[in-house]
Amino acid sequence: MSTDFWNPYRALPAAQQRLIGVGSVIGVLLIWSLLSASGLLSKNQLPSPLAVGEAMAYLGWYEGKSPLAVATMWSVGRVAAASLLVMVIGIPLGVLMGASPKVNAVFSPLIDPFRSAPVAALLPIMVMWFGIGEFMKIGFLFVGSIVYLTPLVRDAVRSVPEEYMIAAKDIGATQWECITKVLVPLAMPRIMDAVIVGVSVSWTYITVAEYVNAQEGLGQLIANARRLSATDQVFAGIIVIIGVALLTYQTLMWLKRRFFKWETKA
Amino acid sequence: MTAAALAKTAAKPLVSAFDIVQEYEQPDGKMLRVLDSVSLSFDRPSINMLLGPSGCGKSTLLRMLGGVRPWNVATPTSGRVEIDGQPCVGPHQDTVMVFQHYANRPDMTVRQNVLYPFSFNEWKRRVPLKEATERVDQMLQEVGLSEKRDQYPSQLSGGQNQRVALARALVLRPRVLLMDEPFGALDAQTRSNMQDLLCRLHTAHPCVVVFVTHDVTEALLLGDRVIVLSTQPARIIDDFTIAERQPRSQQWLMGADVRVMHERVVAHLRASGGHGSMRVTV
Repeated sequence: MSTDFWNPYRALPAAQQRLIGVGSVIGVLLIWSLLSASGLLSKNQLPSPLAVGEAMAYLGWYEGKSPLAVATMWSVGRVAAASLLVMVIGIPLGVLMGASPKVNAVFSPLIDPFRSAPVAALLPIMVMWFGIGEFMKIGFLFVGSIVYLTPLVRDAVRSVPEEYMIAAKDIGATQWECITKVLVPLAMPRIMDAVIVGVSVSWTYITVAEYVNAQEGLGQLIANARRLSATDQVFAGIIVIIGVALLTYQTLMWLKRRFFKWETKA
Repeated sequence: MTAAALAKTAAKPLVSAFDIVQEYEQPDGKMLRVLDSVSLSFDRPSINMLLGPSGCGKSTLLRMLGGVRPWNVATPTSGRVEIDGQPCVGPHQDTVMVFQHYANRPDMTVRQNVLYPFSFNEWKRRVPLKEATERVDQMLQEVGLSEKRDQYPSQLSGGQNQRVALARALVLRPRVLLMDEPFGALDAQTRSNMQDLLCRLHTAHPCVVVFVTHDVTEALLLGDRVIVLSTQPARIIDDFTIAERQPRSQQWLMGADVRVMHERVVAHLRASGGHGSMRVTV
């Protein structure tokens, strides 16, 4: 073990990080293969990686159609619609809460407690209120995600050092200009972090949202497979969700680095 | 200048503070008096040093002169500040502050930082964009940052960052420039360069500079007038002018006159008691 092993400030070379990452995934696949080959667990408890691969291929192309691609598109669409709504409402709300303790005092008790509330338990209530259609599904993702995003946006605005606001006021900035031209631009990198968390949370709730009366989507695909005890298809669905969520995350991180280069240089 | 003209300017002070008292509430509920009956007046372009121990309330006073108020605290507790004979109750358009930690925007390049004030409606209204950009480019040249115009503050040294802040203030052509320990965070060599630069800029852009420092040598080197404050509560314990022309040489700084002034300042501070630290850099 090198003396630098426990050193959070020493970045790992990109190639080395990738190598170790790939290695650990292969390691898990290996243990998984051995476990399923050992016969300790039944095929339904733990399908082999090969079986999951086959299930994925089967779902990926079946009788001239691709159930997996269609399901993925539906889920992506729902997450995108919910995330867009969350951003359009949550970002301005979070900015106002961060900029004014009074606005925060109004909305904080309505939002903050739900970060630790069992949002999944709200689903039956959402069904009662909004029915079992598309509105309920997107609404559920929206609620699950906005309670995370809004407080993070507020904290992003609050963390902008006061000196920038004092300097702006000194040269005649109005209160509104202090928000739009000082607080928001300086909070943007952390607002972007909040968006990334919000979208990720939407992905974690997609299976719950698509559990009720969905005709399509990855959550429905998994629920269906579970009903038929097709564990290999359940695994395939979960892996696709993780894959798509990871891709979304990487894209958003890339956008953040691309547009807020100044943040990392400071 | 004729006597009449002189009397006229003298009769119309640009910035005045009358009987300023400032108290802050302590955590234990008692009131702490920071400034006590401070009256000051500045009437013509000059460099005025507010010299006092660290933590004596100089910065509070300086912010009041520009109408910049710390949040949540009413300032002053009593007394008033006037600019052109008008009570000053909010940030004033003719006074601009320069802060010790620059307050440069990390998300903007050097040029964008200097152009920044013109992004606010107040200045958009007062200066057309074309004139603003001309002023900015001219100003960058004067502070010697033309070549760094497209770099970000994080890529600059402390001195260069303070040049950006100084340019952003002077580009507005303020009649009053308030500087809050602007060179306090810089190393000795850079501080000396910045002091030279300030003298040059002040000659090119005459205005009332009120410069807060706890460095006696800096006060004597830069000040046309030196106002010495005691500590807790701060009162004016000395107020004198220095006739020596700018820029002042090292020889002058080492001379007998300066030694006398130096001893006078130190004696006053000692006699006033209190605590807080001062710096002497020669």
